[in-house]
Amino acid sequence: MASILSMRTVGFLFFGFFLLLPLVGVNDFYLYIASLVPIYVILAMGLNLLVGYAGQLAFSNAAMFGIGAYGAGLLMKHFAIPFWLTAPVGIFAAIAVGTLLALPALRLSGIYLALTTLAFAQCTLWIMTHWISVTFGASGFTIKAINFSPIPISTERGLYYLAWASCIGLLFLTRNIVGSRIGRAFVALRDHEIAAQSLGVNLLRYKALAFALSAFYAGVAGVLYAGLLGFVGPESFGLQQMVLQLAAMVMGGTASIAGSVLGGFLIVAIQEVVREFRFSIEIAFGGLLAVFVLVRPTGLIDIVRSRYPAWRERLEGYGGYKPVEDERATAK
Amino acid sequence: MYFTYLAATGLTTGAIYALIALGIVIVYRATNVVNFAHGEMFMLAGFLAWTAHVTFKLSYLAALLISVALTFAISIAIYHAAYRPLMKYKDLNPILLMMIGLSFVLRGVARELWGGKGDYLTFPPLVSPEPIQFGGVMVMSQQVVVLGAAVAVMILFLLLLRYTRAGKFMQATADNAKAARLVGLRIDRVYMYTFGIGAAVAAVSAVLMAPLILLNPDMGFSLFIKGFAAAVLGGLNSIPGAIAGGLILGLTEQLAAGYVDPGLQEVAAFVVIFLVMIFIPSGLFGQKRTREV
Repeated sequence: MASILSMRTVGFLFFGFFLLLPLVGVNDFYLYIASLVPIYVILAMGLNLLVGYAGQLAFSNAAMFGIGAYGAGLLMKHFAIPFWLTAPVGIFAAIAVGTLLALPALRLSGIYLALTTLAFAQCTLWIMTHWISVTFGASGFTIKAINFSPIPISTERGLYYLAWASCIGLLFLTRNIVGSRIGRAFVALRDHEIAAQSLGVNLLRYKALAFALSAFYAGVAGVLYAGLLGFVGPESFGLQQMVLQLAAMVMGGTASIAGSVLGGFLIVAIQEVVREFRFSIEIAFGGLLAVFVLVRPTGLIDIVRSRYPAWRERLEGYGGYKPVEDERATAK
Repeated sequence: MYFTYLAATGLTTGAIYALIALGIVIVYRATNVVNFAHGEMFMLAGFLAWTAHVTFKLSYLAALLISVALTFAISIAIYHAAYRPLMKYKDLNPILLMMIGLSFVLRGVARELWGGKGDYLTFPPLVSPEPIQFGGVMVMSQQVVVLGAAVAVMILFLLLLRYTRAGKFMQATADNAKAARLVGLRIDRVYMYTFGIGAAVAAVSAVLMAPLILLNPDMGFSLFIKGFAAAVLGGLNSIPGAIAGGLILGLTEQLAAGYVDPGLQEVAAFVVIFLVMIFIPSGLFGQKRTREV
């Protein structure tokens, strides 16, 4: 039984199921939902690199997601440039802003980092809403359906496969990053910055790299999201989006690739259930985030791991949950 | 004339920012944590006072007291249920994640209870809305009330911190938690009261501010950002700094909005947070943080 439930088999089944899904003739709405899954998996992986592995709790990922979407969408809208050319620009814009954001982040940590990036994210949102002549303001704008013309495939299916292909590609990239010296450097600076520095980890380089990588993932997701929706508006990239992504990461498993895949999938599924029952998204995802941090901070993937040890990953698990007796420790 | 109008408005909103910053600072000094849900406490207090005053037709003062008491109790309950179990981790990320999740839950609950998106509740004015002459300067009478009450709350709070037992406990814990525990303070309890008192100060400012603003579930977050901007401007661990930071932010915001561009009122706080964090991280009055190894 254990061999059937190995990580590789389950992974093949999971991705195989989604790759074959359009062939069995699902309708466009379900195809749209299934296209959101890879986008959220990409977001969760990027956030996990920054927060889970490198330990930098930044609240700017939703803004990077938005910058990717706006970068690609606005060029399509204003200059009628095809998606294939604007997509790299959107991704590059997200990487550039993310790397710039790393500069103040180098001097800050913990609460200061969290709140500065939060202020940055709110500022980005404000620009998206108020720079009306360029961004079309709060109501957003629509973009033309993407044409896959030389390949005989409909827009919906083309985007579906594009999203899943990007997701699988980035999954391998994440696995290689985590397995390389970059991943080890991230974990070292997360667990003890000064110890890492004295071991020769260049803090400047690796913090900037963590921010740039997560911005790259968010940018790819943003570009795909803009193409998929055919609409870009500031409301999709606010604090609620950030809570969704954080919930995906914590629920799936912090500092885990399989956890990111699980979390991304669950976020899309739960969002649909919540919409179906007309329940408050804020209470649902805020509550999920809070309950998981409190009750199962290691995420759902940890339950699987404790039963099937073959699901262990390199550099797995988040160091932040080790209780430490210090000044803030509660008196008994 | 225009300048005095802007200055009066700036000082009034600044006084409210100062009160919010005060709540953030006392919690930060004691626990090294910035309470993300602080703005949500402000928002809840405003709605609770509205329910007491408008729905149950209680007097303004009774509504104020009920709202402050309830907010204090809710905050202590949240401390016990959500924050205390996470205070034992050395890493701050779990408690930060908890706070952001919790603030969303509180906002969602407020939206369910007091109206949906874009639904604003108005609080009846406390005094006549007629502007009054003040030695040649026209000011709204409500602003005078808010400013006076805010100053009174600040003085009351400083007296409490300096002269009461609870205040001294809070100071001792903020100064050195380990030493405070060694001399027999139950610092866990001090943390609890600190969270409660921080929320109570936010509640007072919410009820004072309520007649001047429209109540909506999203107001807590934007006020939290402004209160935090005021707090970092003054130095996150300085109480006089929080008050000065609040007044400076309020004035800057109004003057920038009045003379340059109205849109600046919303971004002023973000710009302040950015600039302070990058150039003077310890703020105007704060103690320099030393790096621990």
